[in-house]
Amino acid sequence: MSGAAGREPVFPTRQSLGLMKSKLKGAEVGHSLLKRKSEALTKRFREITRRIDEAKQKMGRVMQIAAFSLAEVSYAVGGDIGYQVQESAKQARFRVRAKQENVSGVFLPHFESYTEEGINDFGLTGLGKGGQQVQRCRETYARAVETLVELASLQTAFVILDEVIKVVNRRVNAIEHVIIPRTENTIKYINSELDELDREEFYRLKKVSGKKQRDVAAADAELLARREQEAAEAIAQGDTKAKPEEEAPDAPDVLGEQEDTDVIF
Amino acid sequence: MEGLLFNVNGGYIEGIVRGYRNSLLTGQHYNNLTQCETIDDVKLQLAPAYGDFLASLPPNPSTSSLAGKMTDKLVAEFRYVLAQATGSTAKFLEYLTYGYMIDNIALLITGTLHERDTRELLERCHPLGWFETLPVLCVATNIEELYNSVLIETPLAGFFKGSLSHQDLDELNIEIIRNTLYKNYLESFYEFVNTDSDFKGTPTQEVMSEFLQFEADRRAINITLNSFGTELSKQERRKLYPEFGKLYPEGSLMLSRADDLEAVTLAVSISADYKAFFDAVGLTQGGGGLGGSDGKSLEDMFYHKEMEMSKVIFTRQFTPAVVYAWMRLKEQEIRNVTWISECIAQNQKERIGNFISVF
Repeated sequence: MSGAAGREPVFPTRQSLGLMKSKLKGAEVGHSLLKRKSEALTKRFREITRRIDEAKQKMGRVMQIAAFSLAEVSYAVGGDIGYQVQESAKQARFRVRAKQENVSGVFLPHFESYTEEGINDFGLTGLGKGGQQVQRCRETYARAVETLVELASLQTAFVILDEVIKVVNRRVNAIEHVIIPRTENTIKYINSELDELDREEFYRLKKVSGKKQRDVAAADAELLARREQEAAEAIAQGDTKAKPEEEAPDAPDVLGEQEDTDVIF
Repeated sequence: MEGLLFNVNGGYIEGIVRGYRNSLLTGQHYNNLTQCETIDDVKLQLAPAYGDFLASLPPNPSTSSLAGKMTDKLVAEFRYVLAQATGSTAKFLEYLTYGYMIDNIALLITGTLHERDTRELLERCHPLGWFETLPVLCVATNIEELYNSVLIETPLAGFFKGSLSHQDLDELNIEIIRNTLYKNYLESFYEFVNTDSDFKGTPTQEVMSEFLQFEADRRAINITLNSFGTELSKQERRKLYPEFGKLYPEGSLMLSRADDLEAVTLAVSISADYKAFFDAVGLTQGGGGLGGSDGKSLEDMFYHKEMEMSKVIFTRQFTPAVVYAWMRLKEQEIRNVTWISECIAQNQKERIGNFISVF
């Protein structure tokens, strides 16, 4: 009908006009809110992307140092300590705690690493030789894992934010390009229909009042005629024969030429 | 006097080992190795010295497989020497393998304690520490069985006797067990070279005593330094110190009471050599960085000293101690090559010179 967005299937009544108007208002408020949310998320998203870049570069460096410190260990110990370390490690020294962070309604998981200083399961490894290197290597790797944890929390946030930003942007666009024009169209349609009804009503009222005027004029004329007649009768005393003849026009002449009164339901 | 009859039994072995010594990489070789760009180049440079052993490696092998192949060569050569030896010399060479056996047994005990399939572990054992009854260790499923029926049969039974019970195997940290065994081994070896009728009063006794004393002191110092900040108590620590060496008994006693680097430095100041090491790596300055100024750690200093001693042993004649020296030199060489190839593989050339070249 009117516009590409179409309109909603409603009866053009004043009540639905009110509904539509509040709907439009709601859509506009929602649109501005969502727009702001999307902007906040995008800002955050950019920041995370930057930090991921930094963390990845840092990881490259740290992992290299860590791998090298392992080479130092194998030089100092002169053998493979991998199995021994694996078997003697019972409790995690390096732990990760997950927290949630609320960024404009989106819950981002945030991993936090901490070390249990008391736990040192393979502290005796390399007691005879190379123990210091083993401990140093462990510290280097702990730093490397710290970087990895940081990167992991950033990456998770990245993926979640990406998804949420997509959804929010879709909603913003839907409100902006579909819901608002459609509601506006509906309001326009209801308004035009109501105007149409108003004009009909006005015309009808005019007709009614015209008929009423005519009726009043006819009644006046009759009254006037009767008064003249009464005046004539008063002059010619006692003549009552003419009365039945005069009453006949009083009865409503349904088939007559005069208009019917409107029937209002 | 010892020179008169030594060559009857030991001449061939000594000759062979001196030949092996000549094939060790020299400073020139190491120079070439440090110029390499890839592991393949390293392999190529090693080809004259290692020949066939590296041939089966795939292109661009990992450093560990390279080291594995080099160890294979050492093992093959040592086995040949061992097969030629008789009498006291054979016993001496067997003593050399006990150190590796201790490592292997510690590995298997770890596996048994954690109820792993110990058969897989056999592959990880050091081939020099292999002995006939080693696979039998895998039969034992619990530690008591292992102790009562299997360990007794091994050559190491004497090292367990009197110092470790089967409860100890269960309760003590494997590192403590390993170091207790090692201490017993060193003491037994020391006693052997000093009392065996064939070695008494020969250069063997002289040089090996010196070497073993150094080894004992090194272990004592290392154990002390590495035990700071761990749950190892002072009494337990004391039990791990070998009861001979230049530091024994006063130095050992001081070490056993040491709480920090200062005390260790004080304890080792009895011996001028060790004091020089501590000074060189800067441990005396209130526990500054263990790395030292020129990237040398205490560990490096000890290795350096060990290599010097090994080199000097070759000036002696008529003694199987050259086999010991040769093995130490060879092991250092493997470590050096591993270090160099690791540096090349990880592109960290700035510390590539951090190896110990002896010749």
